[in-house]
Formats: sequence, structure tokens, C-alpha cells
Amino acid sequence: MGNVRKTMRALAVMAMLAAPVMAAARDLPADPLKSVMWEDMAERFLPGGDIVFDQRVRVMVPASAEDQFFVPVTVDATGLPGVTEIVVLADLNPIPQVLTYRPADAEAFIAFRLKVEQATAIRAAARTADGVWHVGGANIDAAGGGCTAPAMAHGQPNWMATLGETRARVWREGTDVARMTVRMRHPMDTGLADGIPAFYLSGLVVTGTDGRTLASIDIHEPVSENPTFTLKPRIDAGTRRLDVLARDSEANNFAYSLPVKAAEVAN
Amino acid sequence: MNPASNRPALNYNRRQALGLGLAGCACMVCGGANAATLDYGLKAEEIAPGTFGVFGEREHFTFANGGNIVNTAFIAVPDGVVVVDTGPSKRYGEQLKGLIEHTLPGKPVLRVYNTHHHPDHFLGNQAFERAVIAAPQKVIDNIEAEGGGFADNMYRLVGDWMRGTAPVSPGLAIDTDGEDVGGRNFSFFRLSGHTSADFALRDDETGLLFSGDLAFLDRAPTTPHADLAQWREALNTLQAADIATVVPGHGPADPAGRCFIQTRDWLDWLDGTLRDAMARGLTQNEAMALPLPARFAALGVARDEYRRSVVHLWQRLEEEILPEVAVDRK
Repeated sequence: MGNVRKTMRALAVMAMLAAPVMAAARDLPADPLKSVMWEDMAERFLPGGDIVFDQRVRVMVPASAEDQFFVPVTVDATGLPGVTEIVVLADLNPIPQVLTYRPADAEAFIAFRLKVEQATAIRAAARTADGVWHVGGANIDAAGGGCTAPAMAHGQPNWMATLGETRARVWREGTDVARMTVRMRHPMDTGLADGIPAFYLSGLVVTGTDGRTLASIDIHEPVSENPTFTLKPRIDAGTRRLDVLARDSEANNFAYSLPVKAAEVAN
Repeated sequence: MNPASNRPALNYNRRQALGLGLAGCACMVCGGANAATLDYGLKAEEIAPGTFGVFGEREHFTFANGGNIVNTAFIAVPDGVVVVDTGPSKRYGEQLKGLIEHTLPGKPVLRVYNTHHHPDHFLGNQAFERAVIAAPQKVIDNIEAEGGGFADNMYRLVGDWMRGTAPVSPGLAIDTDGEDVGGRNFSFFRLSGHTSADFALRDDETGLLFSGDLAFLDRAPTTPHADLAQWREALNTLQAADIATVVPGHGPADPAGRCFIQTRDWLDWLDGTLRDAMARGLTQNEAMALPLPARFAALGVARDEYRRSVVHLWQRLEEEILPEVAVDRK
């Protein structure tokens, strides 16, 4: 028994040692953002498939985080055809994984705010149908502490009562594309602030009138308090409603419908 | 970002201080400051008889300017000296005190006013006697709640210039509309809008108004704690007052009242631009990329301050403008 366990342990150690070699085998391109965590990010969060840096994946962030609890990010990969998912990472956050967006029937575009713990690379990796990861990103300067301080909500005595309160609107952006912004009340606790367990909105799905999923987001702790998303689901002239179902890490569900104005008829 | 009263003091400090951000930006060429010797090169400009302005750079905080982006002032009154604001660091406060002693030898400092709790206006308090430093109670409260966090962030932004700096809150709370200091009468304006407590004062002898950051001139206004509606109200109050010349918190002395017009113009444009952007569905990053009107091209750091303001003001507009929807909780 003892020997078997020893052998298993030795194999595990070998596997760990072998991991960097396997990374090299994927021919990881040098990181234009020069982050020390790049190889780690690629191995942990961008499995399989080739990785290329691609300017068609635009990541808009300010050069400096004015407020590290609320750093606005817009990812626009609409110039890249066939995007199936977008993984957003903040390399130097204690929890680097920010969100995964699947624009099933939507443009490859998502805006949100995130918390940053310190100056970091912020990346978006857009996976195309052929399995290739197309990576864009930017560095952001910051003071520190965005992930490990308590949410503002905890200063308000009745914050549980307002959990999930939502403000939202849909705009028609073209004949077949909408733009929708939703802002939901949620503390988005990372679990890293003293005495406050992780509690965060963990998923959001947008469905069209026929019940088809248009877009879905896997949401992680670094997304800012009162998470706010802008997406571009595809619609048609007859679409009058989009449905949203969001859930959090305590299995609360929040469902709502957003009206879509009738398309203007061209004369 | 209005902190709730029952948040633990430590967390409140930290979040608020972090929230102010004070984004560091590309270093620009600075005037008198020497980062090697940590000498701000402060100069007293006589702007009215016996009244001296000490004018800072129209920039962000940088390692080169040591945080001297602010205007301070001192006034010879019959029995001594009155000081308005104390600069961004202990070192600035000491050098300001030296400049006062050099300019007005033998005159004691009878009163120091703090216009508001932003770090460039009060972190030089250490150089002065706490018992003569005065501000409205709310300014004192703000300094006590956020001063430590501001000082920490200033170390990050300007470095060694801050050595030894610690926040000192005023020892005197102002709750009157004026006072006589050493034989000179001052009128007080206890307002808000740039922050939750802004203090302006007029020297009734010369008619000079020290507006603090309620007025900026030729430098874009900053908004980390701003309430735009209250700020415009405050500008109304100051514009209606009997004033000869304004010494704004940032920018040159202003005999024509241009600072009021320019500050209001900026705030109106900012408010309108952000509301319009949100009504059109733009994201914050898209809004940050919008063009600035040509008339603001001459303002120092206009693009940077606009981008910062998008962060400061956007979420309140989301709460105001985006429609509420009915949520089914399951």
C-alpha cells in the first residue's frame, strides 16, 4: 500500500514537472502585455486549441483605475467571425477568472465592471469555432485593494431586501441587433474580505421570444458590486421582448422580461 | 459613493480613499519644483495689498511636481497672518510657513482655513498649530474619515515628497457666517457640491474670494466626490456675492469671474454629455472616448478629468436613468 501511495505521489510530482513542458508544446506566443502570470493564465483558463494574440479582440479599459472597485471594461470582438465564447481574465487578481461569455446568437460584445486588487493585465480570449483562442488585452494601473474590501451594500441595513433589484433597457441598434444593459443589485462578495463569505451573481442567460438562448454569462467573484452588463443579442423586426434569468451562488433566481420597441418602419 | 454610517471606520476609510483614485498621469514639465532636493520652489504673488497667492501647477499629482497642483494663499491682517489651505504634504506646509515668515517677517499665524478635505488642500496642516486651523465641522469629519487613506494614496502618487506626512484635522469648527481675525473681517460661505462640504471665504477688506475647489480656472474641474446639482447651487451663491477677485482652488487669480462661468460650463456639458450617452445605450468605455468640445481644449488635463468623471458619475446616472423592471424572485 505504502509503495503504491509513494508511486502515485511520484507520478503526481512528475506530472506537475511536466506541465511547463506541455505548455511549451502548445507554442505559447510571447505576451505583449509582459505579465508574469501569462503562461499560468493560458494553462489554467484557455485549455486546448492554439493561442494567438489578435487585435480584432478589442479590450477597452482606462489606463488607470480611478476606482478599483469599479473598473469599466468593454470587450468588442465583433471584427472576428465565429466567436463561440469569450473568457475574461485579470492576471494579478487573487481570483483571476472574471467571466465567460457565450454569445450563442449575439454579437461578440460585452461590457461590465470589475474589481482589481492591483495593477494588472486584463485580457479577453475569444474562442472561434475552430477552437483557436484569439487574445486581446490591456494593462491597467491601480492603487490596490479592490477585491479584499467589503461591498458597499454591507453598510446599508436592508441590503438583503433589495437583492436582485434590476434596472435595464433595450435599444434597437440595427435591423437585427439589439443592445441591452442590465444593472442588478448584488454585493458580489469575493469571500476575500474579513468575515464575509463569497456571495455573488454567478450566471445570466438571455432568451428570445421563442425560448432560444441568445447569450449566457458565467459570472465570477471579480465582477463589481451591482453587476451591470451590456450585450448585443440578435433580434428580428418582430422581437418585442427579451427574457433574462439570473442566478447567484446561494441559488437565488431572478427572472425578468425586457420590452423591445417595435422596429421603425422605413418609408 | 455615499458611505453608510454603520460601516466600520477602517473599511470606510479604505474604500473611500481607494475610491478617490486620484489617477496618476503622464508627467508634464513642471515649474519650480525640484524632485531631487524636494524643494517646491513656492513663490508668493501679491494679488492685493498684503495678500499673497501661491499658485500650483495645472496638472495631476506626479513625482515631478510633488503634489503642488493647488493654490494656497496668505493674508497680512493688522495683528498677524491668515492662511488659506496648506498644500499636499508636510513638506509643502513647512515650505509655505517658511515663505510666510520670509514675506511677512515677525507676524504670527493667527488662523489657517481648510476649504475642503481633498489631500492637496490640507495635508500641509502638520506645519501649523492645530488650535488655529479652522473649517466647518463637516470638513473636519471628512478629513478625519478619509485623511489617512488620502495620505497613503499620495505616497503612491508622488513618492518621497510625502515623507513624514500624516493627516491633521482642524482644531476649530466653524459654525458662523464670518469672523474677525486680528483686526480683519472675513465672510464665510459654507457650501457643498465639489465635495459634501466646501468652504469659501471672502476678505471683506479687499473683496477677494478664496473659493476652494468650487471654482477652477483653465484647469478641468475634478469630481470624485461631486454632486453636480449642489455644485451649481454653490456657484449661484458665490456669483451673487459681492466679490472683487476670485482665487480659485486651481488656476490663476481671476478678477473677471471667468472661473465661475468656465466651471459651470464644464459641469453642464459633463452632465448633459453623460446623460445623453447613457440614454443612447453607450458603455462607460464608449462614453470615455467621446470628443471634447473645442472650447475646453485650453483647459489643463481636460481629457483625463473627463475620463475620471465618467467613473465618478456614471453609476448614479444608471440608478436615475435606466428604467426599473419587475423581477420575479424564485
